[in-house]
Formats: sequence, structure tokens, C-alpha cells
Amino acid sequence: MSGSKPDILWSPHQPDRFVICDSELGLYRIGPVGSAETKAGTLPLSEESAATLLAINSDTPYMKCVAWYPKHEPECLLAVGQANGRVVLTSLGQSHNSSCKDLVGKEFVPKHARQCNTLAWNPVDSNLLAAGLDKHRADFSVLIWDISSKYSPEASVAAEKIRLSSVDLDSSTVVTKPLYELGQNDACLSLCWLLRDPKLLLAGMHRNLAIFDLRNTSQKTFVNTKAIQGVTVDPHFHDRVASFFEGQVAIWDLRKFEKPVLTLTEQPKPLTKVAWCPTRTGLLATLTRDSNIIRLYDMQHTPTPIGDETEPTIIERSVHPCESQIGSFAWHPSSQNRMVVVSAANRAMTDFTVFERISLAWSTTTSLMWACGRHLYDCVEEGAEGVESMIEKDIATKMRQRAQSRYGHDTIQVWRNHVLAGGNDPQLKSLWHDLFYMKQCAEDMELKLQGNKQSVVYSGIKNIVKTSSGTTESRRCWSGSDRQTDVPRYHSEERCLALRLCGWISRGPEIDMEAFLRSLEQEREWERAAAVALFNLDIRRAIQILNKGATAEKGDLNLNVVAMALSGYTDEKSSLWREMCSSLRLQLKNPYLCVMFAFLTSEPGAYDGVLYESSVAVRDRVAFACMFLNDAQLPRYIDKLTNDMKEAGNLEGMLLTGLTKDGVDLMESYVNRTGDVQTASFCMLKGSPGEVLKDPRVQCWIENYRNLLDAWRFWHKRAEFDIHRGKLDPTSKPLAQVFVSCNFCGKSISYSCSAMPHQGRGFSQYGVSGSPTKSKVTSCPGCRKPLPRCALCLMNMGTPVSNCPGTGKSDEKVDLTRENKLAQFNNWFTWCHNCRHGGHAGHMLSWFRDHTECPVSACTCKCMQLDTTGNLVPSDSS
Amino acid sequence: MFVARSIAADHKDLIHDVSYDFHGRRMATCSSDQSVKVWDKTENGEWHCTASWKTHSGSVWRVTWAHPEFGQVLASCSFDRTAAVWEEIVGESNDKQRGLSHWIKRTTLVDSRTSVTDVKFAPKHMGLMLTTCSADGVVRIYEAPDVMNLSQWSLQHEISCKLSCSCISWNPSSSRAHPPMFAVGSDDNNVSCGGKVQIYEYNENTRKYSKAETLMTVTDAVHDIAFAPNLGRSFHVLAIATKDVRIFKLVPMRKESTSTGPTMFEVQIVAQFDNHNSQVWRVSWNITSTLLASSGDDGCVRLWKANYMDNWKCTGILKGDGSPLTGLSGQPTAMSTMMGSSVQTSQNAINGMSAGSLHAYFLL
Repeated sequence: MSGSKPDILWSPHQPDRFVICDSELGLYRIGPVGSAETKAGTLPLSEESAATLLAINSDTPYMKCVAWYPKHEPECLLAVGQANGRVVLTSLGQSHNSSCKDLVGKEFVPKHARQCNTLAWNPVDSNLLAAGLDKHRADFSVLIWDISSKYSPEASVAAEKIRLSSVDLDSSTVVTKPLYELGQNDACLSLCWLLRDPKLLLAGMHRNLAIFDLRNTSQKTFVNTKAIQGVTVDPHFHDRVASFFEGQVAIWDLRKFEKPVLTLTEQPKPLTKVAWCPTRTGLLATLTRDSNIIRLYDMQHTPTPIGDETEPTIIERSVHPCESQIGSFAWHPSSQNRMVVVSAANRAMTDFTVFERISLAWSTTTSLMWACGRHLYDCVEEGAEGVESMIEKDIATKMRQRAQSRYGHDTIQVWRNHVLAGGNDPQLKSLWHDLFYMKQCAEDMELKLQGNKQSVVYSGIKNIVKTSSGTTESRRCWSGSDRQTDVPRYHSEERCLALRLCGWISRGPEIDMEAFLRSLEQEREWERAAAVALFNLDIRRAIQILNKGATAEKGDLNLNVVAMALSGYTDEKSSLWREMCSSLRLQLKNPYLCVMFAFLTSEPGAYDGVLYESSVAVRDRVAFACMFLNDAQLPRYIDKLTNDMKEAGNLEGMLLTGLTKDGVDLMESYVNRTGDVQTASFCMLKGSPGEVLKDPRVQCWIENYRNLLDAWRFWHKRAEFDIHRGKLDPTSKPLAQVFVSCNFCGKSISYSCSAMPHQGRGFSQYGVSGSPTKSKVTSCPGCRKPLPRCALCLMNMGTPVSNCPGTGKSDEKVDLTRENKLAQFNNWFTWCHNCRHGGHAGHMLSWFRDHTECPVSACTCKCMQLDTTGNLVPSDSS
Repeated sequence: MFVARSIAADHKDLIHDVSYDFHGRRMATCSSDQSVKVWDKTENGEWHCTASWKTHSGSVWRVTWAHPEFGQVLASCSFDRTAAVWEEIVGESNDKQRGLSHWIKRTTLVDSRTSVTDVKFAPKHMGLMLTTCSADGVVRIYEAPDVMNLSQWSLQHEISCKLSCSCISWNPSSSRAHPPMFAVGSDDNNVSCGGKVQIYEYNENTRKYSKAETLMTVTDAVHDIAFAPNLGRSFHVLAIATKDVRIFKLVPMRKESTSTGPTMFEVQIVAQFDNHNSQVWRVSWNITSTLLASSGDDGCVRLWKANYMDNWKCTGILKGDGSPLTGLSGQPTAMSTMMGSSVQTSQNAINGMSAGSLHAYFLL
């Protein structure tokens, strides 16, 4: 407190009060921002808290150190050590009739004037106040004053002496005789009372740390060291003490006081304050001069003198609570890890909390759990479920929702899968339509050819057009125009197939787009319909569509204007129409309108304006290319487009690659980009039972998807997926997992478990009435010995279950007979893998509803609890 | 929108690790109070502590679950220089009916001479294998040859990393194209010691792990490391918590069929964020590795997400302490969430949603 440098003290008992001392004392109250008590004079300390100045005390000049009286009463009593060595008791914000009235103003004066460096109240015997002073010849440097000396009857004699010796002083307020005098011929720089025994005082002397015992003042324990500043006891570990010297902090263990148990990494600048966190074990905060960071040492484990030597676990952290240089800081006595920091220059204060290291983990269902300090926080995604919010969801959430809506499972109307996926992803829409058209074509081909041409369909347009041969060129008139155009159009069987895969034409030899145009009109895709009509060289139809669109969209001026422009089409090379259209088309926002004019204004064979307009769907561009590019241009264009799509992982490119290795490559970059193994798995399972399924990447996606479903406990969905997969990939079917063999002959009894009627069975007496075809086999088909008995009904395995009379629960009977499927399951024989006892599944289930242990006598197996996963409920059961 | 609820953890000291099981229905926590707690989620989403027991004679740094096909098995590691394997058993008492379960120690792994800083099970397809790393810089890989007998663990590999190890992460990829691989991070403070993240790969021919890569650009102390779930991707993604959050991409280079050495990787740094201002303590990936959560010295949990261009952005900030300093852990506290990027704002405006919504990600 050398005049300018401030310090902070928290009130030991009032959690919202603290004192800032520099040249004067200022008492503040801390409170939440915007509370009712907020007045104009509050200072913001953080986003949440602000401080109000309650009182100022400038009665005590030349302050060197301050210490707050530790007891409840009198509150707000402060001891101030001055530059001349005097210690003055003072107070702040107290009414005059408060209990400390008698103490305030009291002065304790050493024999020789020198600077008072430090003050420490005894935490138990709170009358005792220790003061550490600079050296003065052979005088004592540690003085322990009794603040109540005047009132204690023993001290009255001493007080009498003082009165006689110091006449000039106000005898009632000045004390010159300390209770104890320690540290002769030395200087004292820091002091603290030991918490393990309040009779012990630890002092940082000139060149040593000394422990004085008040019961025997002639003796002291000491250790020579330079680290004598700022001695402080760990409030959580009373044998642990920190002190510092220059930039070095030493940690001492009082049980082994010879040398520090630990020295912390040296800091470049001298330290000014070191303080243990009172609310958290092993957290030490240090501050160096001219710095805006507080360095924290989180001592999870420090070496102890007892036991073996262990390497310390100390986590170094640094926090910077404010931008300006820090003058001092003080831990809050009770709020977790909280401190107030005061800046060196302008007394600006900051309320600051040091956070614990947070550990965190994601669950499989996208909820986040974290631990901060001793607390756990479960953070779940909440919000509107539904299609609208799908777009902003993470792929994990999307995949879960899609799995629940049976995405990928529509094998008839394949295109519908994109609707199941939420219907708002253009790439998925394109993909599932591609797969739909492929399936349609493949089915047609199958009918027509009965050959192996089916695989051609799935090999993608890239491969289809490669094999194109016998292309014919035709020049067609513009329908609705009598002019002969010079737009060549190309035809071949393969191109025709490609157009079908693009969805432009449906089955049949004729290139008839009317159905496609009608469906586009129905979906109100006016621009796209018009463009398709135009590419079909039907300008009149295009205009008609645009007009219709304009009407339907309540007079969309744009469409009418475009229709008007179209109607003025001329094929003259140098017409004004051409010139204007080719320049103005770029201002059209809709890509389809744009490419219409690009088509009309470009030279035959040079359709880059259409082909490379990336906002036009790939299928439309490919269909266009198949009609208007010659055999040399077409493969080149398709190859380039394919590579672009592969690189981007754009699912629209699936049309080009088909379900080939190229397609897997494309899907690989899609998966790399999105992690959507669900789409990848289902897509690859939609093709012909082909090569792609053998690709290790495809197998990997499928395994990863199954693993996701398992982790989400979507076991039913996983099983459905496996069934679906088994249809296309018979090799994926798992083998039978369990065989039951007869106890006597060791042969499998599965033969008898099948529903085949059995000849000559030996044990038919348990057979209950039922249909004659129903199996009543109760013996091993190999050796005719009876099968094991149900532990509950004591009937042999193979006997249909009868209602459990023992349980006597009527609702159970209903349960057993209500659903035939369930009834059959009840007939099944089941057993515990641990104790090997078992019986009819229905009987076992009803037994374990009320019991934990096995129904077999003397068997204590807790059969039903053995498998924790078995007790989990699938989260997708309906 | 993410909403945080506080759970009364009842640990007597700092919690060092939280870990979910495969299904996300169970959770384990470990603490400086030397105990591990197991939590089960009820059908209505509440967490209940079903077991709590003293596991070690020092702070328990990490706890981790084995895949459920190996049973209900946990591993923990501690300052007491040991790692331990725990298995839930159905005891003689009716603990389960009282909502409590019983865990017994199957083995204590005592090979380390220093604090064991991390413990992780290897991916399921490798069998039941456990990896530890310790402050003296040794990674140990144990195997339980008999999954029925978890008291038998044999030390299969001992790999010296030369630097004090703080964290370890297995590459979860089960693809046959990717040999077993793990990354280990060091908390050594000395910048001059070089790269603090080392990647080791199993070599089928030598049957040993050898160093495949050292991330030389990571020179500061590393506190956590996490391989992203691979999910059939052709590359690996690694998140690192050091003085900032870093995301690396490891693209395996096409290998000559004749070469037998370790896979060469093209290492790309895809993101680096110093938003936590200072040290980053933990990183964690979601199941599809599309969301990364990190925690740091600023006391916040941050969420990161990439757009389709592989640009990573902060999409959410959550304050680590729930509510402002009430200190009441038992009461559920609703927490305000702050949004990171401007993308959110526009997206929220479109959807008319509250400012708490987290994702704005267009899948195009």
C-alpha cells in the first residue's frame, strides 16, 4: 500500500462487502447488475455484478498494510499498519454506537519507529494481532499486540505503566506494550498464523522462515531461505504453506520444513501476491508486477514428506480478467473460485470467476454432458421437431429422423424415399428419382429382352452413351413454325435410354415428352417445363406453358414477358432479337429461362451456355446433351461432367455414373463431405445385385450405418435393414447362431423343432388338443429321449404352452391369447445361458415379472438381470 | 436449441471425466475424490446414480466404457499409477431392485511407474484391448485374450513416446483399408521438444506399432485429443486441445502394394480456433463427427461445425457453470445460450425461431 498501489480485502463474514485500500480505505458492496438497489454511483464489475461505494475512510495516512478483524463482532474492524510502525484500529461505515466503538482509534506503537510490513489477526484468539516490522538495530521485529489489553484485568498493571511513561499520548487509546516481542535483531516481511495450531506464528524474516511458538517464545523453528515474502497457509491443507521471492514460489510442508517440497516455475517478473483459493483445494493464484494475467497453479497432487516420493501433478493456467495491469486481487471467501481484481492504475475493479477445467462428452443421440467442478450439466437439443426444422439439423439428427420415417425402405415408388428423407434436399430428390427411373427401365428391359441388359441400365449414362452406335441425325422443324431449322438432333437407342433415365420420356419407342411436360406443369415448374418444350423444338408449346404459368402464378409478369420474347424468335444470325436476347438473358434470374435464350441464340453444336449452367439440374443438361451433341462431343461432355460431380460428391451425378465403381467414387466424396452413410448404404443396395456391393467401401458404409442404428437402439430398424440387404446381397445373411443338441445323443434337435409332422413319436401323452398339423414333438428326433422340461409347468419342450394357472392373473391370460404372434412366442423354449435352466418363454417371462432368481430350486441365478443390454428397450419400437 | 440442466453429481471433489456407453443410456464420471460413479438414464430422460465406489488411492483422471458386447465393463486410470478394469455383476443382494448395481474390480494394471493419465479401449473389431498412457511417456496396450475372464490381461505392446503423455485416442475406423492406429498427446510445456502429437500405426508384418506421423506444428502442451468417428470416410480427422482448438485431416496416401512401411499421410490443418482465449481442455466429437465440442479456460463450452465447403465455424457457446453462481447444484437451471456466427441470425429470422437455435447448415 505504498500510496498508489491498491489492495483488496474481502469481508470475512459479509459475502458482499470488500475494502479497497490505497491512500484511503473504501468499502464497497457488490450486487447483481440492475438490482433494485442500483444507484447512480455503482461501478460495473462484470456482466452480472456491480459495486456500490458505501463508505470512505481517510483517517489513517501512510498505510502500509491492512488486516480485517476475523470475527463476526465487531464487524468491519480493520487494523492498519503505517509507515512509522504504528498499528491503528479503524472502521468503515459503522454507526457510532456499534460494538467496536471502544476499539476504533486505538493505536499500538512500537518502541522505535520503522515501517510496518505486515499484519495478521490470530484466527482463533482474535484479540491477538501480529505486526511485522522492519529491522531497527537489535529491536524486535515481530510484535504481538493484545487489542483488549486495556480491559483485561491482568493487563491493567501494564496499562498503568504505559500511562505513566507516555504522558503526551491519550492513554485510553494508545498501547505501547506488546503482549509478545519476537524476532530480535531481524526484519519481518510477512506473517501468518498457522491454522493447525493457533499458538504458532509463521514469519518471513530477513533471510529465513521462522515459526514462533507463543507458549515458548524463546524458541523458534526456522529454515534459511530467500523465499520469505507473502507467507500464506493453504486453508484446505494446514501443513502446506506458500511463500515467494522475486519470481519464484516455494511450497512448504510444515511436517518437513527443511526445504520446499516444490518450487514453481520461475516467472520473469517479481511476484507481488500469492493466494490460496479458499473455496477449492490446491488452487494457488499468483500475480507478478506490471502484468494483466493471473497465473493459477492447480495442484492436484503435491509431494508429501510422508509416503513415497511422487511426481507432482500441477496444472498451470493463466487467466486475464481484465485488459489493464492488475494491482491486486482477492479470492472471495465463499463464492466458488471467484475473485475481485483491482487495476494498478485507476482502481477499476473486475469481478471474475475462475472456471474449472470442463470435461465433456457427446452421447450417441447428440446430447452433450459436461462436468464443471463438482457439477454435471446435461445439455440436450430441444426445439421444434418436424420438417421445417430439418434443414438446420445435424446429419446425425437427420439420419435418426430419416431412419424412423423408414427412409430408403420404399422399394416400389423409389422416388418417394426423398420425401421420407424430409423432401427438402435437392440432391436426394435427384438421386432417388435417378434410382426410380433406373429401376423402371430395368424392369421394362427385363420384360422385353429377358437378357442381361439390365445391368446396362445401372451402369450410368456415361457408360451408356459410350457404347452408342448407329446415331442418326435429324433436322426437325420447329413445331408451330414453318421455318426449316438447322438445329441437328441426334437419335440412337442408347440416347433414347439416356433420355428415359433422365425422366424426360417414358417407355415406348416414340420420343414423346408430353407426359413429362404435363407432370412438370402439375408441379408448377413452369420455367423448366417451358425449357424442356423448347428443347423439344416446340416453341408454341413453350409459350403456351409460360402463359399458363403466368395465369397460375397470378399474373407473373416475368413469365409473360419471356413468352413474348420467345414468340419473336428468329433464326437470322444478325437480328436485333438475337443480339438483345444473348446479352439480356444473363439478367434473368431463373436458370431455365436463361438457358432457353442461350439455346436459341447459340450456334448449333456450341451450347456451352446451356451445358455449363450449373444451376440447371444435371438431368436436364444431360438430356439436352443427349439430344443435341454429336457422338464426338457427347462423351467428352459427359466425362467432364462426371468428373466434376465425383469431385464435388454431388449426388445428381449418380445419373451419369450409375451404380458402378464411378458411382462408388462419387458416393465416397459425398460421404467424405457429409457423413451420410445412410443414403450411401441404401443407394448402393438399390441396384442390381452387382459388383458394387463387393466394394470394401460400400461394405464399410453399410457396417457403419448398422453400427449407428445399433448405437441409437434402433434395433428393429437395423433388423429391417438387414432383411432388405439380404434380398440383394445373399452373402450378408448370417448363419444360424445357435444349435440345440440332445442331452443324450448329442444330435441337433432342430429337426423336431421345425413344424414338420413327425412319425412315431414316443412321448405323445402330453399332446394337447389342437390342429393335427401342429407339432407336438417333445422328444429328440435322433434317440427318442424326452426333451428337457419347462422349469415351471414341468412339461417337456415342444409342448404348447397352457395358461399359467399358478399366477392367477386374469389379465395375463388375455395377454397370452390376445395376439397369435405373441402366443407362438410363448411356446418357444428358452433358457438362461448362465445356469442352463429354462422353459417356455411365456412362463419364464411371467415368473421373472415377480421374481429375480431362477425358478429351479436351489438355483440362485439372477437370470433376467445378467444381461444389461437385454434390459434396454429399443428406442424405435412402435 | 441446446438447453442445459444441472445434475446433482454429489462428487466430493473435481470431476475429471465424463463418459457415455455405446448406447448413450449409461454414463460414468470420475473425480479427485478417488471414486467412480455410474449413472443410468431412465425412460423419461432423468439420470440416476446407480453405483458409486472408491476406485483408486488418488485422483481418477479418466473413465471409459468397453463395447457392450464385452459386458458392462469400465476402465479407469489414476494418479496412483494404476489403471483398473471394472465389471458390473449381479450380486447376491437385491441391489438392482434398490436401483443400485454392483461393480467389482477385475484387474489392476500396475506397470506404470508414474501417474496414468489416460485409458481407452481399442475399437471393438480389434477385440478387447485396453490402452493406457502415463506421465513417464509410455503407452501400454493390454489384451484380454479370454473375454469371459477379465482378470487376465497381457501386456502386448509397450511404446515409449519420450514425452510425458496426457491423452490418447484410437482411430475408430473399422475399415480394413485402415490399419489400427492411435494418436497420443503430450502435455510437456517445453516448446522446443517438437511436435506434441504422435500417431502410431500397427504394422501387420512386424506386428508392432510404429510411429507414422508427428504433428510438428503442435508444439504447445496438448490436453486432449480425439479422432473423429470415421463413418466410412476415406480420411481421418483428429481434434486437438492445446492452446487452441485444432482440427487436422489425415489423408492416407495411396500405398504401393509392395511397401511394408507405415502408411504415409497427407496432413492438412482444416481449422484452428483461439476463441477460448487460453488453454483448451477437452474436445469431443459427436457420433457422425459433424459436431465438435470443446471446453477451455474461458469457462465456456463451444460447438463447432463445418459447412459443406469444410469451413469450420463456431455455432454455439454455452457457459460452463449453468446459472450465475447460485451454487445450488440440485436445482435444474435453464441456461441461456449465446449464438456464434451471423449465419444463425439469418437462419433464425427465416424460421422465426428463438435465438437459441444452434444449427444452420445447408446440405446442398
